[in-house]
Amino acid sequence: MNDLHRDVGAPTFTGSHDPACDDTELLRRIAQGAEDAMAAFYREYGRVVFAQVLLVTGERVLAEEIVQDTMLAVWRGAGSFRGESSVRSWVIAIARRQTRDRLRGQRLRVVDDAFLADQPGSGPGPEVMALDRAELAEVRDAIRELAPAHREVLGLAFGSGLSLPEVAGVLEIPVGTVKSRLTAARTALNGILEKKGQNR
Amino acid sequence: MNADPTGTQYPHLDLGDLIAGAAGQPIGDRAREHLASCEHCQREANRWNLVADGVRGLAAAAPETAQPARPRRTGRRVLAGPWRRAMLVAGSAAAALVLFVGVGEVTGYVHVHLSGPGSETALTAVTGCSQIEQVRGTLERVNGNSLVIKTASGQPVTVTTTATTFVSMSGPLLGDITDGASVMVRGTTSDGTIKAAIVTVGQPFSAVNPPGFVPVQGTVADASTAGFTLVTSSGTRVPVTTSGDTLVVIPHASPSQMQAGLAIVAVGDAGPDGTLSARAVAAVSQPRSGAHIRVSVRDCSPSSIDEAIGEISAARVSGS
Repeated sequence: MNDLHRDVGAPTFTGSHDPACDDTELLRRIAQGAEDAMAAFYREYGRVVFAQVLLVTGERVLAEEIVQDTMLAVWRGAGSFRGESSVRSWVIAIARRQTRDRLRGQRLRVVDDAFLADQPGSGPGPEVMALDRAELAEVRDAIRELAPAHREVLGLAFGSGLSLPEVAGVLEIPVGTVKSRLTAARTALNGILEKKGQNR
Repeated sequence: MNADPTGTQYPHLDLGDLIAGAAGQPIGDRAREHLASCEHCQREANRWNLVADGVRGLAAAAPETAQPARPRRTGRRVLAGPWRRAMLVAGSAAAALVLFVGVGEVTGYVHVHLSGPGSETALTAVTGCSQIEQVRGTLERVNGNSLVIKTASGQPVTVTTTATTFVSMSGPLLGDITDGASVMVRGTTSDGTIKAAIVTVGQPFSAVNPPGFVPVQGTVADASTAGFTLVTSSGTRVPVTTSGDTLVVIPHASPSQMQAGLAIVAVGDAGPDGTLSARAVAAVSQPRSGAHIRVSVRDCSPSSIDEAIGEISAARVSGS
């Protein structure tokens, strides 16, 4: 039971956060051309964006380029931030669009495979048992084999520090669909683990 | 929380609670109390926690900083988005790659070295990416889409370009500032007049503004050797002065615009006949005295090449 639930401050991809640093103020200053604000913004969010994009693309060089594109978009569009979402979900949404644009027409499809990603799994069964037996390293390896849309939703939910409504906002889908996609992702993960277990 | 499907003894945690818990976000007191006593929910929570730990483990394993050159391509064409081109050229024009200051923490930097006259001949590998070659020299003539360059040793090299080759041109090209041209002016202001440090001719314009410079966009009118009038979209007319120190950047240059005598740096793929099929070309008018330009890139990626060429275009101002 000890490891069933973490404290609120469970680790995510986040970088160190300066409590005195107001993200909205950062964006306002970026919009005015303040370089130090851009650098601070990068320190705050570069890591989380990079980790999420890398999780989805699986290609480091491409992920680096997308991070660059994302930060350039922030530099150019900071003035358009209207505070309707958190800065974190705003920048991650930008990164997602950049990723989608870069992957469009390529072998990885983030948006188009959403339909498949949302298909319900078979529910608890042998796959869940596989997950129960799995070691963390095996789970990490299996996540890499998931479909991009599954990796994406898992990263957003568990690695980006976003709430479920924020994940829904980034993905532009209802919260209920986020839940079903997460469930589908876990089912797919279980399936991979089960298959690996059978092959051992 | 969900009602127990088998009865009414207790409600199980709903998926939102389980995911929030695994994500390290707060859950309600009732959910927490239920979790403490419900074996079914504990198993489910453990499964989600394991998935969440796996995701975070992958994130933790993500590299922090760029490694040296990697012979890998992303499949992206050399000709990046036009905004990127403009940003690279004009942004670096005053050594104000503010974005890359930050991004560099992950991606590393590109470098442009200016050194004394070299003794190399013909094609040499680009530092940071041995897969591509570079040639530098003085433009002798233009044959359609091909440039004939004379290297420092006097050897001629033919550089071929295509529609997708990134070709930028920069220098005191005041003659390219003509009436009706769409320009972005960056400079200092005094008494309502802009003293132009950089004039980017042709869209798209960089959104990156070097520190201390005021960026103003508009259309050129009354162009002369001493300056021009910038007509903004609102109709405001702003006097702009130019001088031999004004750097004119043309992000969308073509070989036909180039004249003999320009310093050329080209990177690309070597052909079997000693030619270079260029991925990117920088044409610099009046580079710093005695300077030869040597390219090094962060890696073999097209964006890295773009960045390096963009910096070359601005080397005269940036003093790299």
